[in-house]
Amino acid sequence: MSVFDGLKFRKVFSPIHNLDPRIKFIYVIAIFISAILFSQILPLAILFLMQLPFVFLARVQKQWVRSLRGAAFLAGFIFIVNILTTYFYNDFNLTALNVESALAMTMRFVVLVESFSVFFLTTSPDYLGLALEQSRVPYEFAFAFTTAVRFVPVLAEEAQTIMDAQKARGLELEKGSLLKRIRNYIPILIPLIVSAIRRSLELAEAMESRAWGATKKRTNLYLLKLHKGDYILLGITALILIVTIYVRFFLPEAIPLISSFF
Amino acid sequence: MTIIKISDLVYTYPGGSKPSIDGVSLKIEKGEFVLITGPSGCGKTSLCRTFNGLVPHFYQGELKGQVIVAGQDITSKQTSDMAKHVGLVFQNPENQLFALSVEKDVAFGLENLGMSREEMRKRVDWALNLTGIYDLRERSPHEVSGGQQQRVAIASVLAMQPEIIVLDEPTSFLDPLSAERIFEVIYKLNQEQNITVVLVEHRLDLTAKYTNHLVVMNKGKICLEGNPRDILYSEETSRIGVGIPKATLLYKKLKTAGFEVNKQTPLSSDELADQLMETLSK
Repeated sequence: MSVFDGLKFRKVFSPIHNLDPRIKFIYVIAIFISAILFSQILPLAILFLMQLPFVFLARVQKQWVRSLRGAAFLAGFIFIVNILTTYFYNDFNLTALNVESALAMTMRFVVLVESFSVFFLTTSPDYLGLALEQSRVPYEFAFAFTTAVRFVPVLAEEAQTIMDAQKARGLELEKGSLLKRIRNYIPILIPLIVSAIRRSLELAEAMESRAWGATKKRTNLYLLKLHKGDYILLGITALILIVTIYVRFFLPEAIPLISSFF
Repeated sequence: MTIIKISDLVYTYPGGSKPSIDGVSLKIEKGEFVLITGPSGCGKTSLCRTFNGLVPHFYQGELKGQVIVAGQDITSKQTSDMAKHVGLVFQNPENQLFALSVEKDVAFGLENLGMSREEMRKRVDWALNLTGIYDLRERSPHEVSGGQQQRVAIASVLAMQPEIIVLDEPTSFLDPLSAERIFEVIYKLNQEQNITVVLVEHRLDLTAKYTNHLVVMNKGKICLEGNPRDILYSEETSRIGVGIPKATLLYKKLKTAGFEVNKQTPLSSDELADQLMETLSK
């Protein structure tokens, strides 16, 4: 099951996990906008550091570091491309300012990745499904989303069973060229798809038997309510946006460049 | 009061060459515990699916005859309308739970009916308590055991407060102990809530003692119907290939060998043990 462990979802309780996903999403969008508006390293670094309390309050440091490590390759690529283009553009000259702006671009990317990963790391899928249901997304979509999440571990387990069964009959998965190896997976995919279709029919039957589509006005067992924490986050979000817009449009000269200190 | 009345039912699946249900008539009274058994492919699953109209609405195909359930003709009602009257529990517990928490799954049907939140809360808690899974309510259905999943499935139809609960081999994915617990839950619902139960099962060892209305099906027809003590003792039953309880078999062998244990055919090992002790201590 090791390959599929990352796909399982577990319920975690922390002040951040308990926040309303809708507000969290607005917060992420605000960070996103701020990161796009600024192109200097200092404000971007501040945006980066601002996420840290979230990560620690939610106790998702490990997963967070892992997601950053995943983004490291792309971040390095962005940095190198930035440096190289300015280097060739400026007739093979490189100033401290160029390096700083390349760093800023990289930092911007990292902030974007970071804020989205914090959102997904701290929002459980059932909460997200509930938020979808209660923000006027048609129920069918919200249902499809939660059902997909619900069946990921089930299908993963089934894939493992099929793999074991086919290996027991002598199927060699790890042998041959790349093309051969991809072809090796066909005897696993076909039974998996067939059983998924059969499963979906059974699901449809169970849904019908439990009055799916009986009324147009579906109700919900849970009601998402805004709590104190949500209002605080909303306040923080508003503050970030106000400060960003003020500094970016009214005090553009006030943002110091690191390279000017040398 | 008759709650299910089937007359001369013939049903053929789309593309089927011969009918899966071939001339079945059956009457079930309110509050009964009916056990349907028979070899695989005998039409018992199809019959179950007529009770809430999945046959013919979901499966299409050709249906002749009449099925009246809770006063409704199923051909003129949608399955979603029948859901209030008939709760169907399926074989595979995994494929009938869709939500990310047990509680939300139990509420699924009620949400579909558009029930108010307060009423829903009451019914969900009631169903969770009756099936003994209140403590699991916040867990994900995937995390709990197969037996618990099946109890969630029962709770989720129970929450809709149907007059009839139909269970199609609910324990075939479970170990014997979990199966026995499921049957106890079902029996309790039948006795305490006066819910009509229709149970399709192979495991007569565990279930024969609960019923006094046994239906044996074979090749799309009902071949025997009535008191389980008579039916399970009869020669015809053993020819069809029904899983006759061990206690009944032993009793039959003893009787053929000339040992008169008791007048009444036992349906469970407890009953047989009592009879034997009584005879031996004489």
